[in-house]
Amino acid sequence: MYPERWLDIARLRLRSLFRRAAVESELKRELRAHLAHETEASRNSKFSPHESQFTALRHLGGAAQIQEQCRDMRRTNHIENVLRDLKYALRSFGKTPGFALMVTLTLALGIGANTTIFSVMNATLLQPLPFPHADRLALIWETFGPGPDNTNIVSAPNFWDFQRLSQSFSSMAIFDSSGRGYNLGPAGNSKQAEQVSGLRVTASFFTVLEAQPFLGRAFLPEEEKRGNDREVILTYGLWKRRYGGDPSIIGRSIRVDSADFTVVGVMPQQFRWQFWSNERQLFVPIGYTKTDYGRGDNSFLCIGRLKPGVTIPQSQAELASIAKNVAAQYPKDDANMGATALPIADYGLQWLRIILLTLLAAVGFVLLIACVNVANLLLARGASRQKEFAIRLALGAPAGRIARQLLTENLLLALAGGAAGLLLATILTRVLFLTFHLDTLYLPMRPVDAIHTDSRVYIFALAVSCVTGLLFGIVPAFSALRANVNDPLKEGGRGQSSARSHLRHALVACEVALALVILSGAGLMIKSMSRLLGVDPGFKPHNVLNMVMSVPQEEIYVGPPDLPRFCQDLSDRIGAIPGVLAVGAVGHLPLRGNAGRSFQVEGKPPATPGNMPGASYSVACPGYFRAMAIPMIKGREFTNNETLHSPGVIVINESMARLYWPKEDAIGKAIRFGGSNGPRLTIIGVAGDVHFQGLDSPARPQFFRPYTQAGWPIMNVVVRTASFPLSFETPIRKSLAEIMPDLPVSEVDTLENILKSSTGARRFPMLLLSAFSVLALVLAAIGIAGVVGHSVVQRTNEIGIRMALGAGSVDVLRLMINANMLWVLAGLLAGLAGSLALTRLLTRMLYEVRPLDPAVLGGVSAVLAAVALAATYFPARRAACIDPIAALRNQ
Amino acid sequence: MSKPSDLIQGTLDLLILRTLSLEPMHGWAIGRCIQQASNEVLQITQGALYPALHRLEQQGWLRGQWRESETGREAKFYSLTRAGRAQLAKELAQWERLSGAVGLVIRMEER
Repeated sequence: MYPERWLDIARLRLRSLFRRAAVESELKRELRAHLAHETEASRNSKFSPHESQFTALRHLGGAAQIQEQCRDMRRTNHIENVLRDLKYALRSFGKTPGFALMVTLTLALGIGANTTIFSVMNATLLQPLPFPHADRLALIWETFGPGPDNTNIVSAPNFWDFQRLSQSFSSMAIFDSSGRGYNLGPAGNSKQAEQVSGLRVTASFFTVLEAQPFLGRAFLPEEEKRGNDREVILTYGLWKRRYGGDPSIIGRSIRVDSADFTVVGVMPQQFRWQFWSNERQLFVPIGYTKTDYGRGDNSFLCIGRLKPGVTIPQSQAELASIAKNVAAQYPKDDANMGATALPIADYGLQWLRIILLTLLAAVGFVLLIACVNVANLLLARGASRQKEFAIRLALGAPAGRIARQLLTENLLLALAGGAAGLLLATILTRVLFLTFHLDTLYLPMRPVDAIHTDSRVYIFALAVSCVTGLLFGIVPAFSALRANVNDPLKEGGRGQSSARSHLRHALVACEVALALVILSGAGLMIKSMSRLLGVDPGFKPHNVLNMVMSVPQEEIYVGPPDLPRFCQDLSDRIGAIPGVLAVGAVGHLPLRGNAGRSFQVEGKPPATPGNMPGASYSVACPGYFRAMAIPMIKGREFTNNETLHSPGVIVINESMARLYWPKEDAIGKAIRFGGSNGPRLTIIGVAGDVHFQGLDSPARPQFFRPYTQAGWPIMNVVVRTASFPLSFETPIRKSLAEIMPDLPVSEVDTLENILKSSTGARRFPMLLLSAFSVLALVLAAIGIAGVVGHSVVQRTNEIGIRMALGAGSVDVLRLMINANMLWVLAGLLAGLAGSLALTRLLTRMLYEVRPLDPAVLGGVSAVLAAVALAATYFPARRAACIDPIAALRNQ
Repeated sequence: MSKPSDLIQGTLDLLILRTLSLEPMHGWAIGRCIQQASNEVLQITQGALYPALHRLEQQGWLRGQWRESETGREAKFYSLTRAGRAQLAKELAQWERLSGAVGLVIRMEER
């Protein structure tokens, strides 16, 4: 209302803060002027000059008090007090640098660990999607049967129906669920052919995402037709890297999969797309193939943008009713089909959320342990400062003022620890990122290039530091203030009340309990990891090299191969390299995804639509099973004699043989691929089971067709070598480039690495949890040793008397150890109870280990008890070495 | 002699603001003025007066200025700011309401 009033106030506050001396002298002058006026007034009356001065003084009252009250009115007192407290705290830490350093380091470890985990969370889960209004984006799924894991990708004809009939979405698009590598021919300064990850998308794809090319245009609806689909949109990264950021590329044609494609657009830098794979580098029109027209051929992911105001449940209800009608119309392909929409924002993040929340809880515990240690250090320090506080209280300092000073000291310590922790976290996140290849997490739509320490991380670290400062400061502050003014002064500054010592031991018990919970978690994870690594994958990964080749074909997922000699060429060329023991190729490498196909078992009554038998499906080149060392239980694997002109054959795995031909020999039996009218395929071999969905998933029925009879656009070439497999990369590349110059290989890696990274989702939390539990153990040991050491010092006198009265050093040792281990034991029991309650939350991350595994709980309790005993023993031994005469003289 | 606690809470502020609405004055003169105007009933101790003056100044209702007093002495003269005048009006209204209400209660007829 009166802006000048706020200016006045601001001016006065600043003046009281920064021109303190002037303000003070002004106050003195004002009071002096008052006194002068008063004296003058009295002089005019009946009093003598001396008396008048005295009366005036009496009237004025205590000048110092008035001054202090006037100071209070300035409202800047608290700032001045904080500054004074800070100065005092710094001075007192300067006198005990060891203490300050110890506290800072302990807190740095705790806060650093928390900030690290938060940084990872911040770079992954908390990243906003790189699309406008992402909250209105939803994935649209076909569903089969009751939930929750009943979602299926969609077929193109069903998508067309959804798109035509739905009113909830302003736009809808589909894109390849698997996508593939596209082979770019040599161009400009890149002489080498190169395989880059690409995706077929409908023209509406970019509309749904509200993202437009910054050069050129998006795809046109007519380009979705086969034959009109030779256009390509480049991502910013690919355009810069391979085409030098040349804007004149729009309208030019580039070689993609040995054909001419016209570059129609380049996406802006912030547009990045990854879903169920690594980041895509180029987009091509969907160009529906013959197989895409199959209503039962589900091979697309569907994404839609909700109209403003339409909620997810509304769209779900609408899709469900649309799907019901579609299913009724096409009972053969869509029997029992439903459809649903799920928000895109948190799709596919559940496991990471569980892992990170678990880790956050674990580091939270570590921080609590660190707090307990610091609280204990403060209590020990508080004991020696009792006298200081008592004197200040006796001199009239309000308890609140002392509490405030303690709070300032604690916050100062916490902030120092927080700053050091932040530094630690920036280093740790970098190490984590490199160690665990977090850039290959491939979170849906959230590419992670690096983990930045951004403002949110700073705020988190600051908040954690402040909370920490309050947390570890509370107990010591209460303990300091509760103290009677008289006792410490009488005690002569020595000795501590037994309540205080109990308090410190109780804190140790808490620490032990917290450490045990983390240890149990880590123990369970380690045990389940060792179980998992003990699982026989079904193939022998040692000395096998894998590489991915993109072999495009006209009819993408079922048709005959465009390159019928592909397998033959592979084995001829690569097999001729000295040191290569076997060569094969497969559509789906174990542990890296799979596809499914339905069939009818010949000789059994035909199943009704929607209930057809199905199994995991892939294609393989001759030599695949030998290269992987997957045993053939019966029959044989494919040879180059299987061709399009010979009868169709398949190799099935043991699980499939057991399921469909339980008491018979499967060899020679046949299936009808895709249904009773499909091609007849005869079983020629039964291979050993492979855990193709991951070591933690049991083997499921699976069958293979030979590549020569049914092609597949992405082939994994596996090469078994006599020695170090990576050394074969160059000769293999060279020999392949001679016969297939347009088909570069990519993702060259050893099978051992692939197997190892397939356990990454468990390895990451296991290793981190183990690291945190070691940290917890070390902190707990330091805490215990500190408390025992302190109590030895405190009880020197008592021990001296005991020894003088005849106690031996063993008795003293036992006394000290017993006193502490009782508390440790209490902590262990509490920790066990805590573990029982909390490790249940880990269930989803465990493999063949129950959260209440007695061996793990017993083991970690024993480890913790042993560490606690050691941490008690060494300081306690000092008590046993006390010289009674010296101890008593010391008094 | 009235102690500040005898005054209804906040009344001292009102008295000071009202006094200063006449003309700018220094601290001693304000106390004197209140005392005389109240027929020596209200005596403001300096221990209450100066903190109150400083509080009102810090709230932006008074402005302090060093000037020579009538006796030729340097003194800090306080004057009302624009916001202070508004505040005075507000407090006056409140006082009227309160004293009116108290009066009603005191004069109510016994039944």
